[in-house]
Amino acid sequence: MTVALDYAPVLLPHPGRRTPVSLTEYRADDGYAGWAKALKTMTPEEVVEQVKASGLRGRGGAGFPTGNKWGFIPKAVGAKYVAVNADESEPGTFKDRELIEVEPHRVIEGVALCCYAIGAETAFIYIRGEYVEAADRLEAAIAEAEAAGLLGQGCLGTSVNVRMLVFRGAGAYICGEETALLESLEGRRPMPRSRPPFPAVEGLYRRPTVINNVETLANVPAIIDRGSGWYNSIGTPPRNSGPKIFCLSGRVNRPGNYELPLGAVTIRELIDDYGKGVIGGKAVKGVLTAGVSAPILTADKLDTKLDYDSVQAAGSMLGSASLIVLDEDTCIVRAATLMEEFFRHESCGKCTPCREGTSWLFKILSRIENGRGAPADLELLLSLSGEISGKVLCALGDFATSPVVATIKQYRAEYERHIEDGKCPFAPW
Amino acid sequence: MALSEQTRAAIDQLVARYPERRTALLPALKLAQADAGWLPPEAIAEAADLVGVPHSAALELAAFYTMLRTEPGPPTRVVVCAQLPCALRGAEGLIRELTHGLAAQIAAGSVEVERTAECFGACHRAPMARLNDAYRENLDADGRQRLIAEIAGQ
Ligand SMILES: Cc1cc2nc3c(=O)[nH]c(=O)nc-3n(C[C@H](O)[C@H](O)[C@H](O)COP(=O)(O)O)c2cc1C
Ligand code: SF4
Ligand code: FES
Repeated sequence: MTVALDYAPVLLPHPGRRTPVSLTEYRADDGYAGWAKALKTMTPEEVVEQVKASGLRGRGGAGFPTGNKWGFIPKAVGAKYVAVNADESEPGTFKDRELIEVEPHRVIEGVALCCYAIGAETAFIYIRGEYVEAADRLEAAIAEAEAAGLLGQGCLGTSVNVRMLVFRGAGAYICGEETALLESLEGRRPMPRSRPPFPAVEGLYRRPTVINNVETLANVPAIIDRGSGWYNSIGTPPRNSGPKIFCLSGRVNRPGNYELPLGAVTIRELIDDYGKGVIGGKAVKGVLTAGVSAPILTADKLDTKLDYDSVQAAGSMLGSASLIVLDEDTCIVRAATLMEEFFRHESCGKCTPCREGTSWLFKILSRIENGRGAPADLELLLSLSGEISGKVLCALGDFATSPVVATIKQYRAEYERHIEDGKCPFAPW
Repeated sequence: MALSEQTRAAIDQLVARYPERRTALLPALKLAQADAGWLPPEAIAEAADLVGVPHSAALELAAFYTMLRTEPGPPTRVVVCAQLPCALRGAEGLIRELTHGLAAQIAAGSVEVERTAECFGACHRAPMARLNDAYRENLDADGRQRLIAEIAGQ
């Protein structure tokens, strides 16, 4: 069965391409038409209204309506900032990298439109330190756009100024959390801030700041150029409008980024028709939909549509749409141990329950996987998780409990078998 | 002075680039690290002085970020991602083969092979490794042998 989708990708219109689209190429394909249109025919308020009407929701994980976020920025004069979240460090996520590496100008145009909409003259693009190639390409594309008069002082002959600074991180998942990102930009240890105040009021340098994900902003040029009506012909409006890039990884034959309308395909269709099925024709044991940060879905949920609401109704989150496929040969305890190892490594250490708890969860999971678990360990894991969840400053602490809680709930027998047999029943992988 | 003249000049330029000086601290530390391959205490202190922040502020960052090194290490560093998507596609085997194939260089202290639980955004080209700052992806049997040869030939 193949889903014959009559869909021309908007965000990544050159599937499989590895080289960056140049300014000339991008412009030949209507690139910067939205930027010109906004500068010459729209007020900033009209840009915000258009984005609101599009129904675009944040693609960085939380799905917050982008136009509303922009609308929170106070109108008063004074410095305002845009901070673009290109920290992309959630396991299973590699879409912002491809957007920046292949479509740098689409990203830049989206950032410029955001600056114009909120009245910011400076945007920081915070890119994870390991993305050296992507950051180099982005800087080159910004220089190209400046030389062409699209950015800089007096963009396209108007009085609008836009400056973009690429800021390279240095290895820390927590910098993707928006207030830790701001701390990192300010040269402080990147630990999340308590809220309020929210960044829209007091963000970077205590000034009003919009923080958006790369993919979110990459949607904006087409929304402005072609209108919110057109945008809503893609996906399943009003709550799931537009295209989404699905990152598919794990035990599939053809992992990769697949851009599809929200709600157009099911998890099964993504795996079978786009990922060309599970390696070796094996059965699916479970699928993670938001990297390692939301509950795993069992195989009976494979017919769930890939949109925010459907995945939530199935018991998880769409998040950044990072789908990791686990097949029948995958040991669930080992998978949970690896996921918890990530959180132990990435906890910023500010809150005791998260700092100590992730370490404990990892240790207990490891001993079960290594055949030294005790029957009481499962309840211990669950009660420890309860001591972290909801008792910490940022969402990382909550994310860190989902590998434990969801896998015990869904695959308890597998844990029990490890404990009873005193060893892992699966072949190593 | 621990930092080269060139690095000091580059840090001065950075400081002028941002709305607030302190934003230059992390980029300054990365520049400082490029000088010696790691961050000796004097280099951290000097970067802090150039940016105009207390030494402790710079030390805090140097200790926090995984890409900043407060101890010297071998010139060639291979970091293999062993997070779930890579593990599902043979990351542990890759680590074993690299450690085995580069045993002589590791023993001589010129190469380090490290396993990490971090994901590098290359899960669709797994298994993968970072060779210093560069990505090496789709490391199937051939790719592994090529990588070992590349490192051994350095
Ligand atoms: C621990 C943690 C890590 C995060 N990592 C990222 C990230 O790498 N990229 C991202 O865009 N958002 C990340 N987020 C979400 C951001 O905090 C924020 O919601 C997002 O950048 C807002 O942009 P959006 O509305 O365009 O999605 C993370 C959140 C948390 C709690
Ligand atoms: S929950 Fe964890 S990652 Fe978040 S602020 Fe607290 S210690 Fe840091
Ligand atoms: S899990 Fe290895 S690069 Fe993502």
